[in-house]
Amino acid sequence: MDKKTILNIENISKTYRNEDIQVPALIDVSLAIEEGEFVMITGHNGSGKSTLLHQLGLLDMPDKGKIILNDRDVVSMDEGNRTKLRLKYLGYIFQEYALIAELTALENVMLPAMLIGNSCDARKKAVEIFRKVNLEKKVNRLPGQLSGGEQQKVAIARSLINDPVIIFADEPTANLDTTASVEVLDLFKKINEEGRTIVMITHEQEELKYASRLIKLSDGKIL
Amino acid sequence: MKTESRIPFYLAWKYLQRGNKWTLLLTVFLMAVAFVNLIFMSSLLNGIVDGSNKQIINTMTGNIYITPEDGNDDIPNHENVIKIIENTEGVEAASLETFVPASLEFNNHKGNWTILAIDPDKEKSVTTISQSMISGEYLETDDTDSIIIGRQIAGGEGVEQDAFSLKGAEVGDKVTLSMNGFKEDLTVKGIFNTKFINSDSQAFITNKTLSKIMPNYSSNPNIIIVKTKNGVVEPDVISQLKENKINENIYTWEEASGIMSSITESFLSINILISLVGVLIAAVTIFIIIYVDIINKRREIGILRAIGIKPYIIFTSYIIKAAAYSVGGVILGSAVFFGVLVPYFNLHPFALPICDAVLVLTKTDFIARAETIMWVAVISALIPSAAVTRSKILTAIFGK
Repeated sequence: MDKKTILNIENISKTYRNEDIQVPALIDVSLAIEEGEFVMITGHNGSGKSTLLHQLGLLDMPDKGKIILNDRDVVSMDEGNRTKLRLKYLGYIFQEYALIAELTALENVMLPAMLIGNSCDARKKAVEIFRKVNLEKKVNRLPGQLSGGEQQKVAIARSLINDPVIIFADEPTANLDTTASVEVLDLFKKINEEGRTIVMITHEQEELKYASRLIKLSDGKIL
Repeated sequence: MKTESRIPFYLAWKYLQRGNKWTLLLTVFLMAVAFVNLIFMSSLLNGIVDGSNKQIINTMTGNIYITPEDGNDDIPNHENVIKIIENTEGVEAASLETFVPASLEFNNHKGNWTILAIDPDKEKSVTTISQSMISGEYLETDDTDSIIIGRQIAGGEGVEQDAFSLKGAEVGDKVTLSMNGFKEDLTVKGIFNTKFINSDSQAFITNKTLSKIMPNYSSNPNIIIVKTKNGVVEPDVISQLKENKINENIYTWEEASGIMSSITESFLSINILISLVGVLIAAVTIFIIIYVDIINKRREIGILRAIGIKPYIIFTSYIIKAAAYSVGGVILGSAVFFGVLVPYFNLHPFALPICDAVLVLTKTDFIARAETIMWVAVISALIPSAAVTRSKILTAIFGK
């Protein structure tokens, strides 16, 4: 059975400009992400991994090329519509947990869902996800009261709250110890096995075994 | 949508509830300082204006000041006139005064001051001179050889106009009153100090004393000062007096106070200027506080945007937070102002040559200045939060 392409990028290029200096980060990159894939993007520093992830995740727009999400061209959209797409269809996990320090673990996870539904439903759903990530006993803790691995699990829970079509993870284990890294990756595997599409950047060779597809970047191009 | 509209309040509340308590306290404290700075000078100048106005009313002109009709030197049929005035609605008391164009001399120190002949009992019901005696006693109706003089006439150490005074006349001393070739030695019965330099440059004798010195002169007084009841507006009483056929020239205390009215107007102008400077200082202070707060939260704002929180929600939450800071600042500032500064200055007023000034803040001024602080806070939050929520997401998160 053919899998559905949910995200497609066609010939995107991105150049960073700093006064007179131009640094090409992506050069004519094309890529299709299919439903249920666990894609890992690798490459050396400066190869364009993060830039590619930011374009895929609609956090930044390319200088040229197309990004098609669920059959819609997002490059031509205004930022307001892209914000709605990020909220409803995309999940993000950053390297440094990126939780709101003043919100408890539960509130961090509930927040994106509160924008779509009511807070009661958001709470129920968040509690359910916390069970899935084995963190149900720490829902009322503030991020500062959690370990790095626990914070990253909260970030994963937050990325799942609105049932996204794709989860983007930018080196999610970079700041974790080995045990916590394995826990996080196992969680990713579990989420992926439930049918969720994941696109993740990694530097670690031992993490590549979790991927269903590898994409290697070098000098802004897919090898 | 209902939940979405509540999220800015939810976020703002969480920031305030769980953010750094010291930062919150410091911010509210600085807002309070900005608010107190805004109201303190203004209320002090209001206090000076209010104090000097009260001095004019209580020690010189009353609320309403009546002089002879144009072409007349005195008020004819004054006994009937004063009865009509006393029976007019809104009038509490009225007193007749006769201007005595005389000079005073003591130990070869001579000068011309305002000397008024009065009925002491009537005068007591209109002015507060009798309550301002610093030495000796106030006049009595039957006194025929006594005078009370203001501190500026008596002179002495520490008196502002000592150079032009009687240089240390005291109670019991004889001063010579000279008028139209007549001379009469009068005993200083009392010295008063109203703390209003103009009032303290007056002297009072009884009508009987004047009759004794110049029997013909005292027949018709030339001034009537009127005290109105509390809460009564002077122009309303003046209208009624005119309706009651009082044909003399009738002035409000403001019209009669002459140069003092210009001085108080100058104070009001200064007040406006100081208030504008205060608003500017408050604006800069609050802007810096909120700008630093928002810039420190730049990464968090970027993350919120990355996960799909609409910019207006983030933006509004910071506006609400700034408004909450300002409300806290106004409450703390008010507590300091009304709980500490006002009682302190009531006990230890600023001693000025025109009055003892205390802090006076009207309800309107208080509301206007509280609103100013809140608007300044909101506008100060608006600029940096708009800048951060409009910047690129990656710039907000990674600063690139």
